Amino acid sequence: MIYDQPIFRTMGDTAINIEFGDETSIVLNFRILVLDLAIRENPPPGLIETNPQVRTLGIVYDPLATTLDKMTAALAEMVDEAGAIEELPSRKLVIPAYYNDPWSRECSEAFDVRNNIEYIAEFNDMTVPEVIETHTACDYWVTGVGFVPGAFMSYAMDPRLRFGAPLYRTPRSWTHSRLLNFGGTTSTIYPIRVPGGGQLFGRTPIDIFDPQQNNTVFADGPVLTKAGDRHRYRSISREEYNEIRAEVEAGRYDYQLEEESFDCSGYAAWLESLGQPAELRDPDASWSLS
Amino acid sequence: MLEILKGGLHTTVQDMGRRGGQSLGIPPSGAQDGFALRIANLLVGNPGGGPLILRGDPGTAGLEITMGGLELRASAKLLVALTGADMAISCDSKPAPLWSAFLMRAGQTLNFGMAKSGARGYVAVHGGIDVPPYLGSRATHASGRFGGFKGRALKAGDQLHIGPANADIQSLAGRHLRPELIPAYDGLRKLRVVRGPEAHHFTEKSEATFYNVEWRLNPKSDRTGMRFIGPQLNFYPGRPKYLIKEAGEDPSNLVIDPGAPVGTIQVPSGVEPIVHCVDAPSIGGYARIGTVISTDMSVIGQLQPLQYASFVPVDHEQAVTALKRQESLIAESSISK
Repeated sequence: MIYDQPIFRTMGDTAINIEFGDETSIVLNFRILVLDLAIRENPPPGLIETNPQVRTLGIVYDPLATTLDKMTAALAEMVDEAGAIEELPSRKLVIPAYYNDPWSRECSEAFDVRNNIEYIAEFNDMTVPEVIETHTACDYWVTGVGFVPGAFMSYAMDPRLRFGAPLYRTPRSWTHSRLLNFGGTTSTIYPIRVPGGGQLFGRTPIDIFDPQQNNTVFADGPVLTKAGDRHRYRSISREEYNEIRAEVEAGRYDYQLEEESFDCSGYAAWLESLGQPAELRDPDASWSLS
Repeated sequence: MLEILKGGLHTTVQDMGRRGGQSLGIPPSGAQDGFALRIANLLVGNPGGGPLILRGDPGTAGLEITMGGLELRASAKLLVALTGADMAISCDSKPAPLWSAFLMRAGQTLNFGMAKSGARGYVAVHGGIDVPPYLGSRATHASGRFGGFKGRALKAGDQLHIGPANADIQSLAGRHLRPELIPAYDGLRKLRVVRGPEAHHFTEKSEATFYNVEWRLNPKSDRTGMRFIGPQLNFYPGRPKYLIKEAGEDPSNLVIDPGAPVGTIQVPSGVEPIVHCVDAPSIGGYARIGTVISTDMSVIGQLQPLQYASFVPVDHEQAVTALKRQESLIAESSISK
């Protein structure tokens, strides 16, 4: 559900988590990103940094420069002042992806599970080509970045095409870098070689995180994609994968990234026209918020 | 220059960490025991930087030695200070002092044994370890392969440059931390905790158990997460059904990818609370029972494998008071000569 009023949670002496709801909702995420923008433009005294995620906005602050009460009051005022959400800055990136790739299969074999894309297909009552078709059929919205440097959390913007598969029960101790994966309905890419429990289904030849900042797309920092960005996946062959990877390694790949803004109110209206529930409810839950 | 003869178990260049990375998945990194590194820097006359997590100022880079095994040689006359864990350190086979600045002549070596008490030792050198800053800090994030010395732990053959001296190092030698301020690392350690966002979803009995029992540090712990071995904790029923699909099947999947700053304690499946440490992800996915206060991230950094620790509930005000007290100690008034 989406809460009537965001809840401010104290996290130790230096952090606050502002919770807007408990579900995965792109419309809820808009509210977080709008508040995050307002805070970045006009940071309350003592603010150190913010951490926008799918349904929470993390705040890190200096309790020696301000107090919890003052910081909470300043943030609550900004929540109240945030008006209707019309649009947000949102870059759009095309991510080439080689689906059902040998590296994902190698990981499956190394950890003695079946080829993950076949499991994803079965879990969603699809064929493997349908998995690829569905994953490339709509834009994905990045709600936040976390886990490891550059790892984004994204969700299909067309709720009718939102799918996924449960995480492994026991995570792998390693995963090849740049593998596409699902954790529930969260779609992401492992930027570097890391442990993880996501269901693997493809590999992108492009870098999501580049600490060397070789390509001009990384001129401002080592992380390619930020909260509020959109992605569209494009299915490529092994040959194209190899070509793009060579260009990326040479630092001359031309990332397909467009600076745009996104019509949030139009999107919300479109969701409503689909008859999608505005928020999730479970009348049987005895869930208490406090 | 410092020449590494043996890298030890896991030795990295660390300062007080980088800020601004939470929204990019970039952890703060930096010294796990910030108190010890900052005192070491203070002793040798280096800027110490801001407190852990706040990291408004990363201060000066030194070395963090995990459990021991490091051997290094000074290639010039250097003023150094060793703080943190007791690793029976010798300088040219004579015992080297802890919590005290002393001079090393060119060619002298420091040899670190295994930690007898505490888990992480720190070396500060007047002038600081001179590696290129990355995103505003010299801290190593080894799994991300950036920061520090080539983004990795040190190994034999590495040569670390030292920044220029800006004081008469002879006159700084002999500065030491007042003995009553030297932290004790042995025995049952206490970690102060502010109640967390999902604490109310644990049964009253389980939340009480969390604070009443003595936990042991799982040897699989590291700078990403410290895990604690102890009893199973349980959750109240009544989780909305949509969360099974949205957040996961496990009863501890109470929440979807919430922010998890350094100090956050998650309890996956109600088993083995994990404390997010300085290299941890900025998000979690499990019930957050509490947050270890920033001051006690130093305490947690000195726990040996299987050492006992208990969690002590404090309120936000007490946590800030503890931070203020720590900050008042990182000052010239704590130093004698």
